[in-house]
Amino acid sequence: MKAAPPAAEPAAGDAYLVARAREGYLDAYELLVQRHSAMAYRVALRLTGKHHDAQDVAQEALIAAWENLDRFQGGSSFPTWLYQIVTRRALNKVTRGGDARSLDLLPDLADPAMEPADKAERNLTVDAVTDALLALPFPQRTVIVLHHFERLSYAEIASVTGATEPAVRSHLFRARRALAKTLQEWK
Amino acid sequence: MPAKTPLDAISLPCGADVDLLLEQAAQGRGADWDAHQQACAHCQAALGELTALWEPVAKAAAGPVSAPPGLVTAVMSQVRRLVHDIWYTLESTELGAVRIAARTVAALARDSARMIPGVRVALGRSIHGEVAAAAEKATFGHRHPHAAVGVLGRTAVVDLAVAVGYGDPAHQVAREIQRHVTATLRDQAGLRDVTVNITIDDVIDGDDGR
Repeated sequence: MKAAPPAAEPAAGDAYLVARAREGYLDAYELLVQRHSAMAYRVALRLTGKHHDAQDVAQEALIAAWENLDRFQGGSSFPTWLYQIVTRRALNKVTRGGDARSLDLLPDLADPAMEPADKAERNLTVDAVTDALLALPFPQRTVIVLHHFERLSYAEIASVTGATEPAVRSHLFRARRALAKTLQEWK
Repeated sequence: MPAKTPLDAISLPCGADVDLLLEQAAQGRGADWDAHQQACAHCQAALGELTALWEPVAKAAAGPVSAPPGLVTAVMSQVRRLVHDIWYTLESTELGAVRIAARTVAALARDSARMIPGVRVALGRSIHGEVAAAAEKATFGHRHPHAAVGVLGRTAVVDLAVAVGYGDPAHQVAREIQRHVTATLRDQAGLRDVTVNITIDDVIDGDDGR
């Protein structure tokens, strides 16, 4: 049998990798980290508004997930569980450090292939949205980020936040209206 | 006085709930009018306005955000510190000892296994927890200063969990992995006696598993 080059990306599911990581296969957890670190950072960034805080939150969350892997019941998916850890850590960070209002945001949000003028316009848009988002109370910010940025369903958000689905929907109504009003003032 | 906008009211003159219209616009369905909306100028105008208002949010949400470089490395470095390190002693000369971390051996074995056709996933661990505990007890008195557990000499036991592609001959793939990994660990890590235990615990078909 002839050797082939290593697979670019192993095609294991999260449940498989979680089970192996629990058995002591450290590289199974490394694959999970590679797969979900961008999500952890992205959510943390949108919730805290600061690149350095987001990096801290993402790192702490991924390490906490490893430490608590034996408590992960598998009732929800690994990403849903990780969303839960990230949002809690982000809340701690924001509460400890005062609410974030920084423009130190989303350094690579603009497509590098974009024209400079388009990139600048996009960054302005992103900054305005981020400021509007950061002006929301943390629970409202969380549901907006999870639903409109991460595309989570009401049921998934309920699982992440521990709220009921009707409560999530109600939070979203208030949060959307508040966000839209802020954007309206900006316009 | 600024002009009134849909957000200044709870409902439109036609009775439509503004929050529901905003939900519709925010979900990108501002142009998907229901029967009432098709005949209602209030709803059509409000949906147009709310869609335009929400557009920057949709744009921001669509932008890619990648993890900062080094995040994975930083996390795994911290995770590895939480795990007991086990070491193999490869050589001890008058110039000093050469040691290699068991997790490095496991990584070499894993990467080597991934070279074999038919292997879709390969995960490596150097030794079982019970063996680590025994090694810890046995080597307590002469432990390497940087090792949390101890050294295991030049005999390596590597466990590999492997998922193969659907239709690939699992047994043949396993034997090939054992041959290839053993040779790799002898050549690249200098280990003498190598045992490669393979558990094939999944079969992956096409793009399954994600």
